[in-house]
Amino acid sequence: MISGLLRRPAAASVLSLIGVLAFYVLIGGVDLGTLFSAASWVNYAARIGIVALPVGLLMISGEIDISIGAMIPAGAMTTAIISGHYELPIIFGILGALGIGVIVGTINGVLAVRTNVPTLIITLATLVGMQGVILAGSKLLTGSASVPLTTPDWAKGVFGQLMFNGSHQVLIVWWVIFAVIFWFILHQSRFGNWIFAIGGDKVSARNAGIPVDRMTILMFIGTATAASFVGMCHAMQFNSAQVSGGMNDIFNIIVSVVVGGVLLTGGFGSIPGVFVGTLTFAIVNKGIDFTAIDRNWSNLIIGVMLLVAVAMNESFRKLALSAVSGKAGSSTQNAPRGATTGQSAQ
Amino acid sequence: MTTQTQTRGSALLLGKLARRPETGSLIGFVVVFAFFAALGGPVFMGAPGWSSWLNIAAEVGIIALPVGLLMISGEFDISVGSVVPASSMITAMLAGHYDLPALVAICAGLGTGLLIGLVNGLLVTRTTIPSLIVTIGVMFVVMGLTLGFAVLIKGSTSVSYVPDPTTKFLLGQFINNMFNVAILWWLGFAVVFFYVLHISPLGNWIFALGGDPESARNAGIPTAKVTIGLFMASGFCAAFVGVAQVMTYQQAQVAGGQAFIFNSIMCVVIGGVLLTGGAGSILGILLGTLTFAVVNQGVFFAALDPNVGSIIAGALLLAAVLSNDTFRALALSAAAEKG
Repeated sequence: MISGLLRRPAAASVLSLIGVLAFYVLIGGVDLGTLFSAASWVNYAARIGIVALPVGLLMISGEIDISIGAMIPAGAMTTAIISGHYELPIIFGILGALGIGVIVGTINGVLAVRTNVPTLIITLATLVGMQGVILAGSKLLTGSASVPLTTPDWAKGVFGQLMFNGSHQVLIVWWVIFAVIFWFILHQSRFGNWIFAIGGDKVSARNAGIPVDRMTILMFIGTATAASFVGMCHAMQFNSAQVSGGMNDIFNIIVSVVVGGVLLTGGFGSIPGVFVGTLTFAIVNKGIDFTAIDRNWSNLIIGVMLLVAVAMNESFRKLALSAVSGKAGSSTQNAPRGATTGQSAQ
Repeated sequence: MTTQTQTRGSALLLGKLARRPETGSLIGFVVVFAFFAALGGPVFMGAPGWSSWLNIAAEVGIIALPVGLLMISGEFDISVGSVVPASSMITAMLAGHYDLPALVAICAGLGTGLLIGLVNGLLVTRTTIPSLIVTIGVMFVVMGLTLGFAVLIKGSTSVSYVPDPTTKFLLGQFINNMFNVAILWWLGFAVVFFYVLHISPLGNWIFALGGDPESARNAGIPTAKVTIGLFMASGFCAAFVGVAQVMTYQQAQVAGGQAFIFNSIMCVVIGGVLLTGGAGSILGILLGTLTFAVVNQGVFFAALDPNVGSIIAGALLLAAVLSNDTFRALALSAAAEKG
């Protein structure tokens, strides 16, 4: 039963979370009650978590998207320019932010399926290009790199409000909702099987009649739109949008997904894993303020955690694969099914 | 008859030229340079213009060379972004804070790069974890260690150091008060890497590794050793840039190496290296670096919004990868015709 649990993709992320908490309690002397009632790390987890979910899907299908780093500020700036600077109704700002996500996601996706260029490079190009477009566009249209935004109450309540006496952002609720939706897509609907199949072996997936290209484009639209959604909510939350580098977000989101047990080579991973991976990352990154450990060491902890988590994933996956091949003698395409096999073995 | 063969010959030559990996990057460079020369005018064409983009090109170019070799062999190195500040911090700390001789400090800085490269290489070859993830992990570890120890020992995120004249002359001098001596080092590194990739047997191994690692191993190539060596080279070059920065700016900063990560990859890709491994050339990487640097600095001379440079860089990158894709298809089809 223990090996069945270990074989699940989320196992390493749960162990990472336990390990980090144990480390913070034993070495950092953190008070768990204070940590769990604090909002800073949950807010941060929601920010990267909403993007980490579709990025996880994309990585399970064997692709990567780093343009998200530019799309968070892009969503914020679009909302602020449309509804703040030009004072159009907020609904246009919302549609604009989501629209720019759909556009950039479509560009990424179409380039990904039409060419042989690795998606890391395609999205690096859109990352750099979008950074320029946002900054130059904002200076051109508004004359400044920071745009104020006043949001009507209803929109602020839905997208950019503080809850529970003013420290937890409403974005957290969105994160949980998105997690449920993505859990359903990946683990309950047939789309999930398709995504695993694409990540396991793209050619076989296509031969099996899976609309690989359409799925890939849709997933790229998912990542870019999720990122611009986060940006939009932040603009409403903080009543302004700044053009700031999203470089850190890129690596932080990828690390969250990988700690969550998703294989970069595709075909393996789970939504609960990504969710726990994001929580773990946020606790390391923001929770360190509640410990006696100097915050300057947080990157060291993140790096070690990432390497340990990946190493654990590797060995657990080998367990899963050997279990599958022992039972059915099947190929790598069945790797994700190893998770389900483990589940039923409990 | 003769004219026919001649046209056929020249058509073949053109076809050959179009299939060379650096043709696209040469065209890109000429177009970009002409664009900024037209907008930037005499200032851009004069010594100040040349020095400004050559200085940028040298810094990122020294790192782009080994990163390019790694990409030809099918691997990534993200950790260069943390090796630059780490090595400059160690050099400045040893020479500036502990007053050790400059040579010792420089060796320690470069040694740090080699060590980090060794760790990367071992992790990549001993496990099945993709190098992208391994080097992201190592990057975070090195960033954390640099920041942590800098604050622990020095209590600040920057350390200053005034190098002696000889060291300054060798590593951080501005020739004519404009051209950084790093440009010469860059050319030196380019010659070494040209020899490695295009003349020595090691180069064939690297191409073979990127083409098909399994067959390369079966052909008796010590793939693990080559990979580890390449990671150590990129660590060393990143450390060299870090050391040279200390000597140039007389200060080491904890942050500030992150731009090198994507910039070096962009130079390499604009230079015609395929990310899928197995194709690329040193000449192409040099041209890609020059193109990137001209775009990066040209916007200031052209009185454009600096952010436009970012848009141009993104567009160039896309154009480069798309044309490389086409070139490669051409080259493969030609090879298939012959065989």
